[in-house]
Amino acid sequence: MVHGSPVEIPRPSVGVSVPRVDGAAKVTGEALYVDDLPKRDGELHGATVRSPVARGVLRGVRLDPAFNWSDVTIVQAADIAVNTVALIVDDQPILAATHVNHVYEPVVLLACADKAKLARAVRAVTLDIEPLPPVFDMEQSLAKVEIIAGEDNVQKRYLITKGRADVKVEPGAVNGESATAIDAAIAACDVVVTGRYFAHHQEQMYIEPQGVVAWWDTDGAHATGSIQCPFYVHKAFTKAFLLDADRIHITQAVTGGGFGGKEEYPSIIALHAALLAQKSGAPVRMIYDRKEDIEATTKRHPCICEITSGCDRDGTLRALSIRMIMDGGAYVTLTPVVLSRGTLHAAGAYRWDDVRIESIAVATNTPPNGAFRGFGAPQTIWAIERHLDAVAKKLGRDPIDLKEQNVLREGDVTSTGQVLRSSVAGAECLEKAVLASDYRAKRARGPVVSGRTARGIGAAVFMHGAGFTGSGERYLKGKVAVDLLAGGRLGIRTASTDIGQGTETVFRQIAADAAGIAVDAVDFAVPSTTTCPDSGPTVASRTVMVVGSIVENAAKQLSARVRAEVEAHGGTFGEATDRLIAREGPITSLLQYAPPSFITWDDTTYKGDAYPCYGWACDVAEVEVDLDTFEVTVVDFWSATDVGKAINPVMCKGQIEGGSLQAIGWAVSEEITWRDGHITNPRMTNYIIPTSLDAPRFQTILVEAPFAMGPGGGAKGIGELPMDGGAPAIAAAVEHAVGVAMGSLPLTPERILAAKQASERTSA
Amino acid sequence: MKISLTLNGAPRELDSAPLVRLLDALRGPLGLTGTKEGCGEGECGSCTVLLDGDPVNACLVPIGQCEGRAITTVEGLGEMAHLSPLQRCFIDEGGAQCGICTPGMLISAEALLRRVPDPDEPTIREALAGNLCRCTGYQRIVESVRRAAELLREGAAR
Amino acid sequence: MSLADLHFFKMTREPSLDALCAVVAERHAQGLATILYAGGTDWMVEQEMRAPLHDEPPLVVDIGRMGELRGISLAGDSLRIGAGTTYLELERSAVVQARAPMLVRMAKDVGAVQIQARGTLGGNLATASPAADGVAALAAYDATIVVKSARGERRIAMADLQTGYKKSTRAADEIIVAVELAPPPEGSPWYWRKVGARRAQAISKVALAGVAVVENGTATRFGVGMVSVAPVTARMATTRALVLGKALAEITAEEIDHAVDQDVTPIDDVRSTGEYRSHVARALTRDLLRQLGARV
Ligand SMILES: Cc1cc2nc3c(=O)[nH]c(=O)nc-3n(C[C@H](O)[C@H](O)[C@H](O)COP(=O)(O)OP(=O)(O)OC[C@H]3O[C@@H](n4cnc5c(N)ncnc54)[C@H](O)[C@@H]3O)c2cc1C
Ligand code: FES
Ligand code: FES
Repeated sequence: MVHGSPVEIPRPSVGVSVPRVDGAAKVTGEALYVDDLPKRDGELHGATVRSPVARGVLRGVRLDPAFNWSDVTIVQAADIAVNTVALIVDDQPILAATHVNHVYEPVVLLACADKAKLARAVRAVTLDIEPLPPVFDMEQSLAKVEIIAGEDNVQKRYLITKGRADVKVEPGAVNGESATAIDAAIAACDVVVTGRYFAHHQEQMYIEPQGVVAWWDTDGAHATGSIQCPFYVHKAFTKAFLLDADRIHITQAVTGGGFGGKEEYPSIIALHAALLAQKSGAPVRMIYDRKEDIEATTKRHPCICEITSGCDRDGTLRALSIRMIMDGGAYVTLTPVVLSRGTLHAAGAYRWDDVRIESIAVATNTPPNGAFRGFGAPQTIWAIERHLDAVAKKLGRDPIDLKEQNVLREGDVTSTGQVLRSSVAGAECLEKAVLASDYRAKRARGPVVSGRTARGIGAAVFMHGAGFTGSGERYLKGKVAVDLLAGGRLGIRTASTDIGQGTETVFRQIAADAAGIAVDAVDFAVPSTTTCPDSGPTVASRTVMVVGSIVENAAKQLSARVRAEVEAHGGTFGEATDRLIAREGPITSLLQYAPPSFITWDDTTYKGDAYPCYGWACDVAEVEVDLDTFEVTVVDFWSATDVGKAINPVMCKGQIEGGSLQAIGWAVSEEITWRDGHITNPRMTNYIIPTSLDAPRFQTILVEAPFAMGPGGGAKGIGELPMDGGAPAIAAAVEHAVGVAMGSLPLTPERILAAKQASERTSA
Repeated sequence: MKISLTLNGAPRELDSAPLVRLLDALRGPLGLTGTKEGCGEGECGSCTVLLDGDPVNACLVPIGQCEGRAITTVEGLGEMAHLSPLQRCFIDEGGAQCGICTPGMLISAEALLRRVPDPDEPTIREALAGNLCRCTGYQRIVESVRRAAELLREGAAR
Repeated sequence: MSLADLHFFKMTREPSLDALCAVVAERHAQGLATILYAGGTDWMVEQEMRAPLHDEPPLVVDIGRMGELRGISLAGDSLRIGAGTTYLELERSAVVQARAPMLVRMAKDVGAVQIQARGTLGGNLATASPAADGVAALAAYDATIVVKSARGERRIAMADLQTGYKKSTRAADEIIVAVELAPPPEGSPWYWRKVGARRAQAISKVALAGVAVVENGTATRFGVGMVSVAPVTARMATTRALVLGKALAEITAEEIDHAVDQDVTPIDDVRSTGEYRSHVARALTRDLLRQLGARV
């Protein structure tokens, strides 16, 4: 039921801003997030004892003999059936057994009914660790100053080649043939530009910290919590506890934001809680406080991109060579996939004849980096956009003209050789954002200095692949079940979670329109591994486009049956449904995703259709830089964003504005600072996300270049795209305002001042 | 220590150690989990409640200091079946996404609208500056508050 | 973590300031600390970061509603503000708005509304952090702090308050009762500029408070306080002397920079760098003096 809204929702509902279905529960405080779940009988609190050392040999664990341990449950590595967090590579233990590889690595788990005692118990554990020299810097890791992971510290490599440089070489060959070929291609160009760009860590900083409640009963293991991907946790339990799939029950509680941070990490906290619950025989609640959450959980991967490019004097981009390194942290987790997406977006939204992109992820002795909105793309788009700004400067042109000239259009071929057949809207987004922001006039006028501030404007053009990379969806086989319910209602069962982005509401709209019924005649089941099929994870901007299309097909199928019944025997949709159910028993449509047949992708050569389609966007930022303090205020932010089809415009805008503000924070104020592998600012008071006073006015233009296979008439992914363009647009605007070109994030006043002083020294 | 206070308009009494945070007292013995904890140190504002009409961080207020005082939490603004204009606007205008900041945000907005019936945008932003939201970019929240102010001025019942 | 320990604390309320002084004195004599709970915006945050308690926790006395610590009054040339006054009360006070507008401006920059509704001037002065905005504003007004203990009442000039990082000349058993300041004539120029990592909920990287009386192009009164540029709130003695010593129009940028460099010793920490703070300290001081009429 759509609560609390007197508004009549028109049909069809797609394209209408249907109020959030879970809204009433959220605005009244009725929605139950994990820490709001009623206490279970005999429940204990769980806590984690973590390594204070970045790298070392774990010699032993000492429990203070003077402490009364009688009512404290203790779990160590030896208690675990299979001590591995199941993900891509099985390198991460659930609890450190022999070695520690980063500060904050979990070593011992404790549970106790008394929270105050639990806090003391944590301090009564001493970890006996013999330190080894740690590596914190990705270039030092690559240089193998110490071997800290595998044979060479390398977690993953990719190589993309296109055009003249396209000769087969082994990935990793640095001075191989292909390197020479691209160098030759670049050397042949009129204008060559080289640059080095750095993107930094970012903390997701969802406002609700991670948490899980776990318990065991005759049905097996249960975990409920703040979870983006229940089936990841399910898989982790299968492996660690050697349990049959039907003895594991993972359910999502209302989730207070994720942004990727609750994609893979919840497996760990859920395993921890379940281990304590198993050993104690009692339910265990583990809720991180903010400090532990910032310290222990994943962050955005830092990334260095070295770019050399060549173009014609008229600005036609020709050849591109990129060498990029990402910092995966101590364990592999999702790094190969993040590196992949980063690599695939490194060439930007532009045409190049010759391309060579070599990417490497290396280990460091820092907490594993992981999923975060954009998944590697914001880092490489930062680099290529800054680079093109530098190319434009060298050519003496405005960056937007260079970008307009080279932006990929229908029929063009991407760096992986994908021919863009349809749904290509880079140029349209560019035009709309530029027009709305009056960019050209403002650029032409130059920076506006008034008093002690200077105003500048900058833009970024970008695309973001929707859905899983290449053949991902083919392996994944995402499924959705839609039940036909009494009275002509539909019930959607999917593992796709609503973590704030509006899945519940948008899926109802898609199903309602497909079936020709009202939105409030569609139910949405709480995502649970026991009652819902595995729809694949809620990631990669795939939920609406991929899972939504399964919902659409299933709803169509069911309504076709009901309508046939109406045709044959009359009555209303509801009556016909009831007759069908009476005759046949429960009726469900369980469908699996069928990826578009035209998609071809070769995982070994990294060639082909990297994504079924792309979302396109152009962001324009207007900033004010204080000439005394170099504080950057983003005053206005325009975004023209192609969503394929806006199923719920208000929610689309909410995604774009929210994602853009995360990009703004990443660009100007957010920064993780480190000392000896420890985070020195693990608090909301010193990891600085924007407040309402720091946020600009957002002017969002929805562009619709429908994707034929998308639901609701062509919807594409929108979740990640808005994270990609903010940082480079702001950097361009800062450059316009004060004349310093920043290649490293973040653009804090301290860094801008230092850069300005350095540039004044060199010019003096 | 016995503590008497007015909670969402009704007198309540509880027995609690005095330094227990109002936040924990609300979520525990007082049974109202609408007030959230995002940081425990006064930064995020998800624990915001009204204390004698002014917004405060319930994570920094000891329950002992609430003796004889009036507390309003999100549960006191309206119910599922009878939403206040502010609550309704947060739904309709997209002011809530994941919703974890929403209870605190609503309380800060409520405090503002009680004092300033016709706030301009900077005033709204200033009133909400102690409530961090990571989902929305704030624009839709500002819109929600502005729209609610309009409705209230047009005479909608709180 | 150790927030769970809050269960172990006891809290009392005292009927009068004298009774409070007696309790504090008695415990002090036994070597026991007493926490005066005003807004708790400093104290509660410290608890969160503290290791679990080993011994009996200190007694907490709720001073939040103690009448003798409250109230704002103007008597002759002296504005008296009770130590229990919150930032929000400063903002809403007509007297403060008229006679000490810089305090209002400063108060609006403390945390955000929720902190302003709870945090008090007394708490800010008691913690005596170099990052405290209120302390700097009071330093600029050259305020006096009224403290009281069982031994009696005394006054501490702002200039004598801080002796080192979070150290002060206020004795452990002395309760801050009020601050007193001589407000400049109405309409006198004042300056408040806070530079933090964001526009609200930010601890100052640097902030500058200033008040002045200018007659015929020369400052006859000039007080400043700068935040987070030294182990204590910077009172900027060299800069004050420079400004009071000559016509504003004759002061050069170089002189200002030179004076400021003498007055501040900023360091790198988690919020900013020493280099940046030095730069901003000079820039803000120039800005202030520019507004007073210096041609810089
Ligand atoms: C999110 C957040 C943002 C903040 N932002 C700012 C900011 O922008 N600028 C800034 O300056 N500060 C800021 N603070 C710090 C804090 O709010 C201020 O220092 C405030 O003034 C403290 O007052 P209080 O009443 O809350 O102190 P309390 O926490 O109640 O007390 C602090 C200490 O002072 C003692 N004390 C209190 N009153 C007296 C008295 N009358 N006599 C003797 N001792 C006393 C107490 O025993 C205790 O040890 C912030 C704090 C938070 C949590
Ligand atoms: S929990 Fe109280 S402000 Fe964050
Ligand atoms: S709606 Fe998620 S934090 Fe505000």
